[in-house]
Order: sequence, then C-alpha cells, then structure tokens
Amino acid sequence: MSAAGDVPEAASRRLESGSFSSGLSATDFSACLQMGLRPVGLVQGFCAMQWGWYAAGSSLGRGLSPFGPSGGGGYQQNWYCPHGFVGGEHRTWGQNFEQTWVEDAWRTGFSAAFDRMLEEAESVGAHGVIGVTDTSRHLADTRVIEFHLLGTAVVVDGAPSPPAGTPWSTYLAGPRLAKLVEAGFMPVSVVATMASVRVWAYCITEFLMEGGAYGWAASMGSTAEIEQVSEARLAARVLAREQARRQLGSDTLQGIAFSAVEREIGAGDQVVECTLRGTRVRRFKDFDPLPPPRPTVRLS
Amino acid sequence: MLQAVTSLSQGVHRPDDRAVTSDLTVDESLLLHALGWEPVDLVFGVSVTAVQAGAWTWGRGQLQSPSDAHNLAVSTASSRLRQECAAVGGHGVVGVRAGVEIHPRHVDVALVGTAVRPIGSDRPPVQPFVSGLSARDFALLAAAGWSPIGLAFGASFVYAPRRDAATALRQSRQNVELTNPTQALYAAREAAMERMQASGLALGAQGVVGVQIAEGPMTFARHVIGFTARGTAVRLLAGEHRTITPDIVLPLNDAVVQFEAEALRGRR
Repeated sequence: MSAAGDVPEAASRRLESGSFSSGLSATDFSACLQMGLRPVGLVQGFCAMQWGWYAAGSSLGRGLSPFGPSGGGGYQQNWYCPHGFVGGEHRTWGQNFEQTWVEDAWRTGFSAAFDRMLEEAESVGAHGVIGVTDTSRHLADTRVIEFHLLGTAVVVDGAPSPPAGTPWSTYLAGPRLAKLVEAGFMPVSVVATMASVRVWAYCITEFLMEGGAYGWAASMGSTAEIEQVSEARLAARVLAREQARRQLGSDTLQGIAFSAVEREIGAGDQVVECTLRGTRVRRFKDFDPLPPPRPTVRLS
Repeated sequence: MLQAVTSLSQGVHRPDDRAVTSDLTVDESLLLHALGWEPVDLVFGVSVTAVQAGAWTWGRGQLQSPSDAHNLAVSTASSRLRQECAAVGGHGVVGVRAGVEIHPRHVDVALVGTAVRPIGSDRPPVQPFVSGLSARDFALLAAAGWSPIGLAFGASFVYAPRRDAATALRQSRQNVELTNPTQALYAAREAAMERMQASGLALGAQGVVGVQIAEGPMTFARHVIGFTARGTAVRLLAGEHRTITPDIVLPLNDAVVQFEAEALRGRR
C-alpha cells in the first residue's frame, strides 16, 4: 500500500452502506449538528512500521565519532574530556545528536496513517475530520509499531470543497470545537511531531550520572548540573516545537499535548524522545472581545 | 461555520499573523484575550543535577546533597524557561507544569508552559514572570491587583532516625510517641517550607500561592523521607489589594429524578 494508497475494500463497503458511524459522544454529536456539521462516517488510517534501528547507524555514520560527518543537518553538540589520556576505557569525548533517521521513520508512519484517514474522508465527500485521536503502540512483543488515527468525517452543507480536495482535520470536537470557531479560528489540520536525541556520554557525564558528584562537584560546591543531559533534553523539546512551527506558516498551533520519554541505555547514555500534538488553526475573523469576566460563587 | 469553512477554501491568510504555539485550552485563550493578553509560544526549561555518591546511604538527619540538587535543578530549569520566554518576546509564562523526578543518582526537572504577552506588545521586560497557576488563576490574581513573579520551591530529605536497642526493647510493649521521628519529620517539613519561602523572598515576592506539598519515602531508599514544596511567588502591583466581589449564583434546576430498576423488585 502506498503512503496514501487506495481505500481498502472493507472500508469502502462500510462507508458506502448508507448509514454513518462516528466516534462522537452524544454531547459532541449534538454540538456538531448545532454548528452545521453533519457526520458522514467514522474514518481511520493505519500504518505498521518496523522499529528497531536505534543505533548510531545511519548511512552517514553520525554518532560514531565527534570528528565524523555531520550529515543530516540535525542538532549536534560535542563534549570533550578535560583530563587528557587516562586509560583505554576512559570516555574522552561525548556527543548529543539528533536521530534524524528515527524521526523520519516516525514521520513516515504517522503521515501514512494520517493520509489514509483523510483519503477515507475524501471518499465520502467530507469537508473535514473532527475528534481525531491518534495512538502509536508496539504490536505484541515485536519491533513493530502501529500508528492508528481515527476521526469522524463531517460535511458542511452548502460549503465549497476544501482546498485541493483535502479535508481539514482537528483533535477537537463538540463544544470545544464550537468555542474555537466562535472565537474566530478555523481548524486547518492536526499536527504531530517527534524529536529524538541520543546522548553519548563523555567521562564527566558518565561519572555524574553514576552519582559521582563527590569528585568534581565537591570542588565546585556541593552539587553540579549534568550539562550534557540537560542540553539534550532541552534540545529534544525545542526540536519538536520547531518541527511543528515549520508546518504552521502564519497559523497557530492550539491546545498542544506534549510528552517526553527518556530511556537510559547505560551510564549517562540515553535517548530522549519528545512528541507534540495539536490542532493547526487559522484566524478567519477578528476576536469578538469578551467582556471582562465576572467571578461567581455557586450556591449548591 | 459556513463562513469559517468558506474562508479556508478560499485560502484567506491574514498577513499580520505570526506562527504561535500554545498548550492553553480554548477557554484559557479566550479568558486571556479578555484581559488583553495573548499566547506567544510554548517554552521549556530543563535541568538534570547530580546527587553525591552515597548520599542516601550514609546520611543522618537531613540529607544535604539531594536537597541542594533539587533546588539547583529547579532554579536552573526556571531560569532557562525565562530565557526562552524572553527570546520569543514573552512577558511571562503561565500554566507552568513541573515534572520533578528524584532518582538515586540525579534529580530531573522539566518545566513547560506557554509564554504570553499583552496583545501586540513587542517590548518584553528584562525579567519575565513564571507562574505555575492556570490562566484562570492568573486572571483572578490580576483582578485583585497581584502579579506572579516566579516559582518558589524547597525540598528536604530526612533519614528516619532509629532508636537505640535498649530504648526499642523497653518500648516494645508500649504505645508511645516516637520522639525521634516526630522531631525529624517536623524539622524536615519546616525546612522544606522555609526554603520555599526563602526562594520566594529572593525573587522579591510578598507571598506564595498555590503551594503543593509532596511527601513520602523514597522508592529506592525506604529509610529516607522526602518533602518537596513548590508554589508561585506573587507580588502586589496595584497600590493596594483590590477586593473581588463575586456574584452569587444559585442554580434553579430541579434535582434529577433517576429511575431505579432495583426498586421494582422491592429491594430498596
């Protein structure tokens, strides 16, 4: 199946059955009808990706040496041992580097599932997809991660076709979507990004992560920051945000859900992965200024 | 809705708009806008600090190294959050969520929040504020004449002291207060609160609101009890505190009468 291949036969049969299904709650369903959104079907997209090659093994050899090629254009920061030659096992250099090949794999999986969901929506003539949920999880105990996106395709009676025929999409539905539109914003697309940074510890990071503040830090005070790890974690967060910003143009990313995972691989060595999800929205009219809010106390 | 969808189809862009990222809800964005503020960007502050080797094993009374590591991590992460905020032109950060993890060898702190500014303002202050309060609380504080300044925090870790063998034997069949742990816990709690208050004062605050206290034994060292306290340091900006007079709302809805199937069988 191509990234945006044909809609599977079973999905086509379901979507053409004449009735609709939706992932909306009764409240969301009522709010959508009130807004003029008519649900036409539950649409979804899947993509199973093999997920095993985390090593510093891109074809460009990044992460193998601080003196190696810096191909890929990603974030990279080197750290050098201040001690000179100590021994064969002494980590004389360290490196933080963006694992662009991991990010590419994640982006491929997410985009394929997302495109397939939109393709289903397009096939039923939808203008947009609301209440999108997305998950990514390991299939059983394998190195395969499945991306799954699901949403409710809707039609706005009397509205022109969406730009390039591609439906708009949003994580929001029901009252929250209604408030967004009332505030003057129209959803454009869901946006999700992932950044992965590998920490290859040098001697001081290794020592401090093993509880070694006694040595270096004792001479500087009672404790010390582990700069290499702090820098890596901050970089992963900023990279995820900047990836999202590059997709925004002059739009706003609303209601971001952010998560970060750190996996320690060894003494000081770790992988930091950050994901960021939100709805890209575009202002179509000025804010109607709200009156200053009045505090209330509820007697009940 | 039709107007919104039509404008999207026509590809209408407003050239004055800039890319914005925000983790505020729609309600929070509207509320801030009503106060004359707007989101600018999602900003982060992170710090990982090392804990001395053997700090959990050989301590007596209060353990200094983990407490110092916690305070250094929070203050460093907080100052990075301010730097990010200033770099994007924000006047402050609201709704800051703090992830604090205490490991045997290091303390990890990660802060995330949304930088905000008065609508259209392009002259950020030298020292942006950091607030752990929600946009709603920010609005309430502003209405009362107060402003958040920064995060106030304190931590204390105490080694639960043991009785000597003779005392333990003598008290084995008594219901008595264990004065050692009582005093140690009392002192440690006070120390955490005092450090939090001191960090607030260092920021020039008049008080700390929204204090959250976490306490309990460390999972990796059950003999050590940790206390952390953090809140948002606030300062009065107006000449004096403005009293908020809330409207009283009395819902007039009837109570919902629910059908109880069990009652038909006489079980109720």
